[in-house]
Amino acid sequence: MESVAGENAGAPTAIVEEQHGIHRIFLVDAEARAAGVQPGQAANAALALLPTLQLEERSLPREQQALEGLATWLERFSSFVSIADQDVLLLEIAGSLRLFGGLRALRQEISKGLRGLGFTGALAIAPTPLAATWLARAGRRACIQDETNLAPALRKLPLACMDWPASLCETLTGMGVMSIGDCLRLPREGFTRRFGAEYLLQLDRALGHLPDPRNSWRAPERFCADYEMTEEQTDRELLLNICRELLLSHEQFLLARQLGTQRICVSFFHLKSPATELRLGCARAERSAGRWFELLGIRFEQLLLPEPVIAVRLRSGMAQPLQAEAGRLSFRGKSCAQERRFSITQLAERLIARIGDQSVQAASMVAEHRPDYAWRSQSLLADWSGTTLDASHQAVQRPLWMLPEPMVLPMDSGYPVYQGCRLRFIDGPERLETGWWDEDGISRDYYTATGNNGRRLWVFRNRSRGSSWYLHGYFG
Amino acid sequence: MSSSLDKLLANPRVWRGRDQAGQQAGLASGYPELDRHLPGGGWPRESLTEILTEHYGIGELRLLMPALARLSTETSSQDFAEPGWIAWVAPPFQPYPPALQQCGIDLSRMLIVRPRDASEILWSAEQALSSGTCAAVLLWPSVLDDQASRRLQLAAEKGRSWAIAFRPLAARRQPSAAALRLELHPGDKGSRVHILKSRGGRPAVVNNLI
Repeated sequence: MESVAGENAGAPTAIVEEQHGIHRIFLVDAEARAAGVQPGQAANAALALLPTLQLEERSLPREQQALEGLATWLERFSSFVSIADQDVLLLEIAGSLRLFGGLRALRQEISKGLRGLGFTGALAIAPTPLAATWLARAGRRACIQDETNLAPALRKLPLACMDWPASLCETLTGMGVMSIGDCLRLPREGFTRRFGAEYLLQLDRALGHLPDPRNSWRAPERFCADYEMTEEQTDRELLLNICRELLLSHEQFLLARQLGTQRICVSFFHLKSPATELRLGCARAERSAGRWFELLGIRFEQLLLPEPVIAVRLRSGMAQPLQAEAGRLSFRGKSCAQERRFSITQLAERLIARIGDQSVQAASMVAEHRPDYAWRSQSLLADWSGTTLDASHQAVQRPLWMLPEPMVLPMDSGYPVYQGCRLRFIDGPERLETGWWDEDGISRDYYTATGNNGRRLWVFRNRSRGSSWYLHGYFG
Repeated sequence: MSSSLDKLLANPRVWRGRDQAGQQAGLASGYPELDRHLPGGGWPRESLTEILTEHYGIGELRLLMPALARLSTETSSQDFAEPGWIAWVAPPFQPYPPALQQCGIDLSRMLIVRPRDASEILWSAEQALSSGTCAAVLLWPSVLDDQASRRLQLAAEKGRSWAIAFRPLAARRQPSAAALRLELHPGDKGSRVHILKSRGGRPAVVNNLI
């Protein structure tokens, strides 16, 4: 019922469910009930009683969604929340009593919060989850703390609260079994034989004779929220404000879980064209809306929207535990933080946000004799693991500039020619013959050469007969 | 006599070209002949330096290497709690890590940025300079007008960083806000450095440097 509340507030509302082809009233609100509409009535009959009645089809997915939302909300009261049934939420509260100042206070807090969210709930407290469920279903505002009180309280409950199949309940009622107490009085063997072991197990679990483990509800760790507009918008300022709002709720979401995320994706939906997506990355797990908004702003400036926007969606990537950073003490007048406006990771994030992931790189050394493989560039968003290989053993000077690919040089009577000038060798050869174990083995003689314009070049020739000369780098 | 001269010089309306009060110490270039001609005895920190060359590969990087090596490894007590980063914005070729390490540069403090167009080069350089984390930013702009050079100069001051822009010789005639502009010419016995403009210094020529 509450999952539709708010949409047509003011008008009397009823939820209908289809049973055997007939729409029947499933739930009614207070106003409709006053007019005589009751659950179980045919929808037509209800409309005859109250023509202004708003009918809503019952939607299980929406109920489930509402229940999951509630479960997430309830996580603030207990570390163990479980969704037991279509309409039942279980909380383990023994561990939370001290924090919230006792059972009474906790109970008040929960029911107040539920009301605030627009839900009504029947709360029951019992030592076993099934007992609590049955008590709540029976509408008893019970609070059983002691196991000795459990059995007497349960005995009084009617059969209906156990949510057993209707046929079973009918049979039992026919036998004169009206309450749980009556069930318990039946001989166990006969009960198992006639109705199956499952129901006896349920009774045992409710009474605490058998353990009753439950799955704990875990709130989703990915954030996804939409903002739908009533009409198409082109105003970029407005879109940015929407993004800011989404980012703020994203921050709240992550804050509640002590998480951060490295990636988010903002989608702008259009009526006809496919959605425009904006993917943002951060070097470290981050949740601050301010930081994400700053990165978003940089990219949004350049973003071309093919059409007006009708909806905006924000999705976050995998959530990660937030890495807290200790502030640095400063003893020198102005604080360091003020002077250093942002760290290198922040700088890298800004650059990447504007010019792309591949365009910002760090470099590191690889222990390898082949010049092409002796280094590696790596993305900044990867781990910062620069190897500190000692290059001092390399007696021969390497060029500071490297060509991405060796360039073939023309030849003049066996000598390489560069820009119309025959090169003179000033150093070399240095023979590099290695890598025979894989496909890229080399066997080269490297020389330092110079032409007429004073440039110093790093050239090589393959050792195979008649090989041409290649330019591989400049001594910058 | 000397006291009246002192009085005159103390007058704030008197502007002195050399040895300005507040002239900060330069960053030793590692080439004593060059340091002698640079005001402050080295590269001007927290400002823009322009190096004009016709070609790459005539020692334009080696000119900077001693200073960069020190920046990337030393923690200077005043600005950085840890060594600053060295950003390369739009280098024309791949800076070769083994050679850089031979020159004493700490590779783990290097950031290579490859923007896609001219405006992104300037934007990236400005970001890196003003971030306060880069001790030096080397950039190879395809265009750099007076206004852009002023922006870089301001960003360098703001982030207390050293900007080095490499430009073709043809840029000599364009005005620039750089604190230091020098030309690098190849020579038989080593490259020749020609100081075109030096804030607080004088134009000079240093032969056979590298």
